[in-house]
Amino acid sequence: MPACIQIAQVTKTFGATVAVSDLSLEVETGEVLGLLGPNGAGKSTTLCMLSGLVRPTSGTIALFGKDPLVQFLDIAPRMGVLMERPAFYNHLSVRKNLSLLAALSGREVTIDRTLDLVGLLRVASQKVGKLSRGMRQRVGLAQALIGDPELLLLDEPTSGLDVESTQEMLHLLRRLADEAHVTIVFSSHMMHEVESLCDRVAILNGGRLVACEATDDLMSYDSSAVDVVVEAPEGAARRLADQAWVESATLRSGRIEVRLRDGTVPQLTAFLVASGYKVSGVIPKRRTLQEYFLKVLNV
Amino acid sequence: MIGRIWTAYTVELRKALRSASTYVGPVLVMLAVAGALVVHPVDRDGASDYGFVAYATPLALNLLGIFMTLVFCSGLVASELSHGTIRMVLVRPLLRREFLAAKLLLGMTYALGLVVLVAASAWGTAHALGDTAGVGYGGEILYTTSQMRWAYGAGMLLSMAPFAAAVSYAVFISTLTRSTGPAAALSLGLWLLVEGIKHPLGIEAYVFSTYLETPWRVFSGRVDLIDTAWFPEAKYCLGVSLAMALTFAFLSVYVLNRRNLNE
Repeated sequence: MPACIQIAQVTKTFGATVAVSDLSLEVETGEVLGLLGPNGAGKSTTLCMLSGLVRPTSGTIALFGKDPLVQFLDIAPRMGVLMERPAFYNHLSVRKNLSLLAALSGREVTIDRTLDLVGLLRVASQKVGKLSRGMRQRVGLAQALIGDPELLLLDEPTSGLDVESTQEMLHLLRRLADEAHVTIVFSSHMMHEVESLCDRVAILNGGRLVACEATDDLMSYDSSAVDVVVEAPEGAARRLADQAWVESATLRSGRIEVRLRDGTVPQLTAFLVASGYKVSGVIPKRRTLQEYFLKVLNV
Repeated sequence: MIGRIWTAYTVELRKALRSASTYVGPVLVMLAVAGALVVHPVDRDGASDYGFVAYATPLALNLLGIFMTLVFCSGLVASELSHGTIRMVLVRPLLRREFLAAKLLLGMTYALGLVVLVAASAWGTAHALGDTAGVGYGGEILYTTSQMRWAYGAGMLLSMAPFAAAVSYAVFISTLTRSTGPAAALSLGLWLLVEGIKHPLGIEAYVFSTYLETPWRVFSGRVDLIDTAWFPEAKYCLGVSLAMALTFAFLSVYVLNRRNLNE
């Protein structure tokens, strides 16, 4: 089975500005891919190209094995798109907006179920123009979900949502991926959202793909960083900081955060014991996506 | 394709019917017909009041009607671009040319609505307040009521040709801009510019606005007891208008197809 999304050497320029440069990427069916990157990294442009709103300057894109520029009508019914800052017909109600968009999709029957899914049933008759930003964002997700799409392209879908609504949305998306095998491309600035939702993370910077890793691999234990719980931590931290094989030893909340240069954890433990410190714990540290992100971007 | 265009058209129609701005044009043209009574009063004196209809119709349609059609249609795509709603629509199974076809159909529906409304108000007023018997001279009926109705009806049909060109022109302008205000200003500004230079440049025969009066010539002529022929004027009106309507429609498709909808 071909990958759900195949992007090969895609470049997009707007005049002299290169928005996306030589991007190649594949997304498997049922996979949740997180798109990360600073502002202007090319995330939105990539999603626009995938959804057929923007034509690539060069390179090829295939969704479900088909070219969105040539076979758009075969792809569109299988795809749900939520663009950044979703716009609606403000003078119409939530239900009317969705019903019009559903009519264009040929799937008018699923509106109530979709409204219920995103928690919008109680405001269904309110005009969209009167809704808060968070509620509008929900309407945006609802319109993307019309017709039970197999592929969701979501550009900052949690923007403007409160913590609780964000969690609800992330749970819903995870459920769609796990139970209905919906493929999701999810762009966000929120590292913890990408960490909790995505199977894989692609980091864009200046239009280029600078990293693409499975989230589990990124979040694995870092053998060069440990938290040490020891008696008299101030003195121990000073002693450790003087060692050539230690990059840094910082005291934080009664623990010493140790980053090793070329030393090992047994070497560290042996050193502390030999120096007369009573070590009660050496806790390996997990990498965070934020650390990885900053490292990749050389920040 | 026809099915998708029809669906998109019904969606556009439902949206337009729920927007207050849609009703501004119809109200204004009806006021214009009512206002025509000041210049051309009607009363039940036994003389035919087709003169009122012949005066009110071009007044309401060729000035206000065309103006309102240009304003309405120049917002059709521009408003979707400025609000960003076009991105919600064009990720559905609908091609850009089908989206434009639906917009053109909506514009034509609007223009047809204005024409029908003006006709109904002008004839209704003449019928209610005056006389609509045949046109006569010296006691002899030269044009019967039926002949006058046919001339007017044919004029209504023919008037849709320059209106179609106007709709297509305004939708084209609408695809060029990102907001409704500049779109309306540009379409009206260019229109006035062309109106101003078409005669000095000798290009009036190729400009559809030249033929706005053509549909009503036969009816107005009969009111003035002049037997006016439909052809060849009607042929030019139809040919030039439809050619321009098609040209602007193709240009709109070309522009929108090339447009990046990333913001």
